[in-house]
Amino acid sequence: MRRLAPRAGLTCGALLVCLALRAVYATPHIPAGDAEVLAELPPGTQHTSAGARELARNRLDVALPLARFYIARARASGDLRYLGYAQAALDPWLARTVSPNAAVLVLAATIQQSRHDFGAALATLAEALRLEPNDVQAWLTRATVLRVLGRYSEAASSCAHLASRADPALEMLCAQTLRALTGHLAAAYATLRDLPPQSLPSAARAWRDSELGEMAVRLGDEAAAEHWFRDGLALSPDDLYLRTAWADLLLRQGRSTQVLQLLAGYESIEPALLRIVIAQSRRADPRAARSRTLLADAFAIEQQRGDGVHRREQARFLLDVEQRPDAALVAAQENWRVQREPDDALILLRCARAAQQPAAAAPVRQFLQQQGLQDVRLEQ
Amino acid sequence: MRQALERLVLALLLGSSAEAHIASNAFVSIDAAGRELQGSIELSIRDAELAVGIDADHDGKITWGELRASAPRLTQYLAEHLLLGTRGRACALQFRTLQVNDRVDGAYAWLPFTARCVLSARELDIRYTVLDGVDPSHRALLSLRAGTVVQSGVLGGARGALEFDLAAPARLSTFVAYLQAGIRHIWSGIDHLLFLLSLLLPAVLLRRHDQWLPVPSARPALLSTLKVVTAFTLAHSITLSLAALNVVRLPSRLTESVIAASIIIAALNNVFPIVTDTRARIAFAFGLLHGFGFASVLADMGLPHGARLLSLCAFNLGIEIGQLAVVLAVMPVVYWLRNDTRYRRALLPWGSVSIAAVASVWLIQRALLSGS
Repeated sequence: MRRLAPRAGLTCGALLVCLALRAVYATPHIPAGDAEVLAELPPGTQHTSAGARELARNRLDVALPLARFYIARARASGDLRYLGYAQAALDPWLARTVSPNAAVLVLAATIQQSRHDFGAALATLAEALRLEPNDVQAWLTRATVLRVLGRYSEAASSCAHLASRADPALEMLCAQTLRALTGHLAAAYATLRDLPPQSLPSAARAWRDSELGEMAVRLGDEAAAEHWFRDGLALSPDDLYLRTAWADLLLRQGRSTQVLQLLAGYESIEPALLRIVIAQSRRADPRAARSRTLLADAFAIEQQRGDGVHRREQARFLLDVEQRPDAALVAAQENWRVQREPDDALILLRCARAAQQPAAAAPVRQFLQQQGLQDVRLEQ
Repeated sequence: MRQALERLVLALLLGSSAEAHIASNAFVSIDAAGRELQGSIELSIRDAELAVGIDADHDGKITWGELRASAPRLTQYLAEHLLLGTRGRACALQFRTLQVNDRVDGAYAWLPFTARCVLSARELDIRYTVLDGVDPSHRALLSLRAGTVVQSGVLGGARGALEFDLAAPARLSTFVAYLQAGIRHIWSGIDHLLFLLSLLLPAVLLRRHDQWLPVPSARPALLSTLKVVTAFTLAHSITLSLAALNVVRLPSRLTESVIAASIIIAALNNVFPIVTDTRARIAFAFGLLHGFGFASVLADMGLPHGARLLSLCAFNLGIEIGQLAVVLAVMPVVYWLRNDTRYRRALLPWGSVSIAAVASVWLIQRALLSGS
């Protein structure tokens, strides 16, 4: 290594300059005055909540609602820290080998699923269902995990378990979303569209809208898709999944300005920031460079941690923003090994095409053919 | 019943969405030199609030005044939850002035520290228990520098302790890995080699009166080879570095197409010579584009955090070594063949035409057939 040093010296010298030039967007500093606000604490994150957390160690009737509260906050805010707090409330109960509790296990599985640790989530759910074979929530969560994994027939049998145990409308929603992925898109869409929203619990109405919106996207009916997304967001403005799904539709239509309006205030959430960066780059917005640096840093941190929550977004970032199709393809393939939703198929197909490696798309094409997945986006 | 169902749906929706901020991270960097370690820890202000309670007036907002006032408690907490030691003997941590740093997910409390260790630190044990039992997904991303060697690690969760050997350059393996990758790439990256060869084949010849003549001695051939190789190396090193460090980026379809075009131009120049004595300029000009091509390979591998520069240099060196090996293998043969008219009349022109033909196919594939 030492012998090579003089030759490397020139290159490395040039590189050091480059590194120094690379915009570092922050350096430690002392704020101007004592009154300067550095952070606002979201609900449930004050030190004073330590009392409740302490209580949760010994009382299940505190631990469960606390974990549910944090999980709900995670969903509404997109803040991954809440999942950690929820896990902390459950951990002491999971550690107990005597009398494990199905409700604790189902919540733990929900956290694992939110972190895209699908294998662990399925194992935890299996344990929960062994203890409590009638646990509706466990069956529903299991159906969702299996659906994300592309194991549709197993997912459908999980939905079927709901039939005798839950609201029939909910069972239908669960089953139709799977039919829509397995060759009956138009029929499933019509069935769900004709389902009166009043027959569903209020929280499920936005879910129906989001499913209908995505089905309409796959059918190529963009006007209908926009209607469902708009409707769903009116019912549930906090629904980040709906919001980004709608942003994707707007991006496909080249409506970058509306994307920025739709996602204003959501910059701290990576999937939202990804859509923002794409829209900003298309509009040659001067803020694009900073957004891109922020997002790249967030992905780099995730990678160092070994987290895989945003693999799909990372592939899309590499393809659409960084324009590195080869690297994007590697990320998309890695993502496909973990999850198989239509968007996962789409990003892998796009990356394989951009990287001129059609063979890389073969597993996806085979999967699509086997399942009969219809999606106009995949045909373009 | 309704409430239970709503919870159900809530769980389901949570599952189907993949949305999240980044999780909770602290950033620890340590620079080891002898018995004294210089370092810093950056803890999110939100995490600091959970750890010690900063929001004195309970208004849900953390001001600089509140953070400053809680600095003694924060440093006390960190001194108990970030433990450095050498061979089982603890180092004494001394924190200095608290500052604030802005990151992707908000403001962080930045605390520089000095750690005094009993023995000179050749091995360093780090125990990290910040937010234990409060946020099990909290991690400390550690960057440890000892001389020129940078190591990184992740602490927290199930792994509360790490042990580092400061004497052994763990990055040597990284260096070797990237060096090998560079060598491999020049061997599999036949387009770069064909370009270089097209420029080198006539290095043993002189162009006089529209004819190729063998060079009288080794000196001009050597000089010409040296110029071309140096120009190519210099040019692609520049752009490889710029691209790998995200300073400049070009769409791969463009670079790949121009690389193919550069081979055609270099090869045809041997058949219908336009540039004869200054091929080094062609090597430099197109070498810039080839650098972007190398960068795409490096981008696939990624540069390891904390050792970007080292890996980049290693990769570049690997390319040079691979390239040099080809030059050393080909040039003596070509030099030996130079007096043979078959080399000048057949091998050089027809070889070049073949190279140009192959490159034309690439150009069409890359420029026209690649959908994106």
